[in-house]
Amino acid sequence: MDIREQIAENERIIEQLNRELAKKSAEVRIIQQISSEINSTLHLTRILQLILDSMDRVLGFQHCMILLKEESEEKLRVFASRGYDQEGVGAEVKFGEGVIGVVAKRKKMMRLGNIGSSMNYLRAVRARMEEAGQLASARVPVNLPGLPRAQSQLAIPLLVKDRFIGVLAVESPKPNAFDELDEIPLNILANQVAIAIDNARMYQMEEHRRKELDEANTKLVQLNESLEHKVKERTAQLEQAHAELSAAFKRVEEQAAELSVFNRTLEQRVAEQLAELERVGRLKRFFSPQLAQLIVAGGTEDPLKTHRREVTVVFLDLRGFTAFAETSEPEEVMGVLSEYHAEMGKLILAHEGTLERFTGDGMMIFFNDPVPVPNPPERAIRMALEMRERVAELIVKWRKRGYGLDLGVGIAQGYATIGAIGFEGRWDYGAIGTVTNLAARLCGEAKPNQILVPQRLLWTMDELVEAESVGDLSLKGFLKPVPTFNVVRLRG
Amino acid sequence: MGVLPDEIKPAMEGVIPSHGVTCSLDGTPNVTVISQVYYVDADHVALSFQFFNKTTRNVRENPYAVAWVTNPDTFETWDLELEYDHSETSGPVFEAMDMRIEAIASMTGMTGIFKLKAADIYRVKSAVKNTDERLPLAGIDK
Amino acid sequence: MLTEKFVEFIHGPVIMSMGTRDERLRPAHTFVIGAIVNQDRETITCFVLQSRAERIMGNLENNGRIAMTVSHPSHESYQLKGRYMSSRPVDAKDVAIQEIYRTKLLACMLQYGYPEQLAQPLILGFRYQPAMGITFCVEEIFLQTPGPEAGKKIA
Repeated sequence: MDIREQIAENERIIEQLNRELAKKSAEVRIIQQISSEINSTLHLTRILQLILDSMDRVLGFQHCMILLKEESEEKLRVFASRGYDQEGVGAEVKFGEGVIGVVAKRKKMMRLGNIGSSMNYLRAVRARMEEAGQLASARVPVNLPGLPRAQSQLAIPLLVKDRFIGVLAVESPKPNAFDELDEIPLNILANQVAIAIDNARMYQMEEHRRKELDEANTKLVQLNESLEHKVKERTAQLEQAHAELSAAFKRVEEQAAELSVFNRTLEQRVAEQLAELERVGRLKRFFSPQLAQLIVAGGTEDPLKTHRREVTVVFLDLRGFTAFAETSEPEEVMGVLSEYHAEMGKLILAHEGTLERFTGDGMMIFFNDPVPVPNPPERAIRMALEMRERVAELIVKWRKRGYGLDLGVGIAQGYATIGAIGFEGRWDYGAIGTVTNLAARLCGEAKPNQILVPQRLLWTMDELVEAESVGDLSLKGFLKPVPTFNVVRLRG
Repeated sequence: MGVLPDEIKPAMEGVIPSHGVTCSLDGTPNVTVISQVYYVDADHVALSFQFFNKTTRNVRENPYAVAWVTNPDTFETWDLELEYDHSETSGPVFEAMDMRIEAIASMTGMTGIFKLKAADIYRVKSAVKNTDERLPLAGIDK
Repeated sequence: MLTEKFVEFIHGPVIMSMGTRDERLRPAHTFVIGAIVNQDRETITCFVLQSRAERIMGNLENNGRIAMTVSHPSHESYQLKGRYMSSRPVDAKDVAIQEIYRTKLLACMLQYGYPEQLAQPLILGFRYQPAMGITFCVEEIFLQTPGPEAGKKIA
């Protein structure tokens, strides 16, 4: 080439470069415009359609679609398309299927311009393999969304910080429709698109979350209101409960007061009862248990309180006891005494007499105190007669052993002063008076098995008792001699 | 160096099949139809290696090869003098070729059956455009 | 050597290319626009653009080794290998054959799904004159159809 030709060639080259530069500048401006349009809205489906419309209008890609990755699945779904008879929106592409599927799988851009001839070639190979029996199963080719006989395809992965979210794909029925220069604006666009989609999705998520939050807030407000209501109810309940509790407390206080009063009275009553028991205990020494209870129960006046009463007194003792006691072994003595006491005690109780004292073989019993009895003298005489009979049996037994013992009884009636005799720690129940002396003296005068009574005593018992006179006895302490009788037996 | 100009790139899209010639060590030439000569960079091209055949065997004993490619836009043809350099089973070239083959295989039910074994990388020693082989065609446009 | 089937095939709508090599085993290529099987059924005469024929003549005269690929749009293909015999300029009959060939080829390509906007300029836009006829004797035939049996020797 000579100089002129060279210059011409250079000019041509420069012109071509200028044209390419102008084209690129225009494209960059267009992309900026599209980008700003995209970023001014956050509604996802609007965005996608806007992008595809711009790609056709501005960049001349007549058949294009945007597919987005399904969450946690290796497949894509067509979200927007332009330039197809049927929308194709919603159609699925699995990773690895066709140009779009392989781009999704590898996350790299791919541009093909010879789809038809490549497929023919492979189909021919497939046919040969089938002929040779090398294809065990007929693998059915997949049905992919897009032009049925696309010759050229350019698919770009949509990535946000290495996170794959979908594919932007353009197609053409012409072979080699796209070249390297087309990749540049589409790459820039894909970048913007990915970010915009991600933003829109996040916005959607935010909206959704905000809606959820609003709902939650409403529920919370409702909850608060019902809670306030419940609190009011509860407070009222509590106040009522408190009032009831205060009343109950007051009642408890009252009861406690009552209780303390009761306690004190109880203490008092216990003290009283103890005193009573003490008295019963004391009285039991003197009286039969029944009598003691009766006294304590308040059936009679306190017997230990000094008082005067007309009583019938019975004195008795064993003739020959002293000599017996001196000449016998202590065990023998005690044995006789205990037998004698036991038998006598039975009879005293049976006749409701009161044993005032006993000294060894001697006993003093009186009737009509502390418990009044009807016809005390009769009782006394009946008792004395039974005693004589019983002792007579005992005497038979004692004689066999060589004991010489006999019973003597004296009975008198009259007023006596009765009450507690003694000192602190040793009180005794005692009767003092002429009547007791008389009964004692008469007992002393009695010969073995005699029951001596003053004549006076018999005045009302003439029909009851058979008695013989023993004369007028001079008794110590008595001025005049006392006409005395010995009770022989009961008449009838 | 930059042997391959930008204008040859459309010829490297496999739109129109290319032809290639290799020669065995015993001096027998071998001519084949190549579905696509891949543009790697201004000094390299790649051919897909799917199965072991005369071509692949030849270049491994005698690296000299020629390729004849046609630009589907201008229908101009180019003669390329090549020298087999090495084979790749990974990397951006292999992956780009593999993706294409995987896509087409999936569309023809040949997934897993038709696979790229390797990318044979050739150094381009010269690229000559044939300027006198076109007939002017009235009304024929791209 | 060449069966009837082959003769018909080579005379049909096929894309053909020829490969040669120099004394240093460096290969060379030229495309073929039409070919005829000679009556001896042993030799084939290929029509090559003169400018190209000049480029490879050195190879042909040096070692005479020729390889030719014959490829139908259906991808049925064969490779013929043989020895260079002679060359001559084309005559009117050859040109006629070439023109018929071009027409048949275009029609067949369209039939097999080649896009018209590609096939037409490709085939009809190819210069095919001035051309030379290069005759070679076929020594071997290999199956070149892509598939499991590619490379198998047939004859």
